Amino acid sequence: MFRHPARPGHEVAPRRSAGQFCRVSASTDVARPSLEALLLPVLDRAYSYALRLVRNRADAEDLVQEAALAAARGFSGFEQGTNFGAWYFRILTNCFYARHRRRETTADADLDEIPDLYLYERAADLGLHGTSPDPAGELLASIDRDQIDEALVSLPNEYRVVAALYFVQDFSYAEIADVVNVPVGTVRSRLHRARKLLQLRLWNVAREHGLVRGAPEGSP
Amino acid sequence: MTIDRYTCAEVFARLDDYLDRELDPAEVELVRQHLETCEKCSSEYRFEAGVRENLKTKLRRIEVPASLTAQVRAALADPGATDSE
Ligand SMILES: [Zn+2]
Repeated sequence: MFRHPARPGHEVAPRRSAGQFCRVSASTDVARPSLEALLLPVLDRAYSYALRLVRNRADAEDLVQEAALAAARGFSGFEQGTNFGAWYFRILTNCFYARHRRRETTADADLDEIPDLYLYERAADLGLHGTSPDPAGELLASIDRDQIDEALVSLPNEYRVVAALYFVQDFSYAEIADVVNVPVGTVRSRLHRARKLLQLRLWNVAREHGLVRGAPEGSP
Repeated sequence: MTIDRYTCAEVFARLDDYLDRELDPAEVELVRQHLETCEKCSSEYRFEAGVRENLKTKLRRIEVPASLTAQVRAALADPGATDSE
């Protein structure tokens, strides 16, 4: 993929001082920044997020575009001074859920059967803990981004959403809670399960691709 | 001041929060103290931190295609025109 040396979104950023945004009060419509001025700077992040929710670039582009239109329709509901990124990501997440309503078959009970520290134990099986200075790095070294994407996209929707916000956006639990519109405790438990499932899937990806030498057959 | 020390189980229950900086400072201190003296827990901690770092690094932001930026700008300029799907 071609990469610009400039920071993402730099060239399209509006030529306005930051102070102009900060001084806008909720009641004055005059200096209210346009949706475009708010949206374009977060578009890279939105696209990266969308790519981990759906399976391919075309669907990710559709999702970002659909969310932009929904944001345009609902822009009067955006409260000035609040986190625009979280607001737009919430819309994008809702658009994703609306498109993928199908009931999922992975029950929470199944997820709870995955042991904690799944990859840690596999690294132990491979004898990495005593011998490698960085067992996690060594275990994951041969797994590339596409394979991690594959594992991430394979998660059930509600786990995929929190995992994408966490791993891709580096959001805090509170920020994820704000986007997904659930309590922080729910984010915490979904994230915990998402991590366990992701570790299991990553292990399976590594085995399927023959990336782990001498790997024993895994459980689940 | 004598304070309670965490057991391995108490540390493990807080490992995610500790890694994600979601613990309050008093709990952070208790976890930190335990990790300094318990090889098993600190080995688990380093491994989990390594997994997280590895995934976050590999899942970094992807630049949006210029064509999508153009489409979004066009849609915002005239929401009705592209809202037909
Ligand atoms: Zn311990």
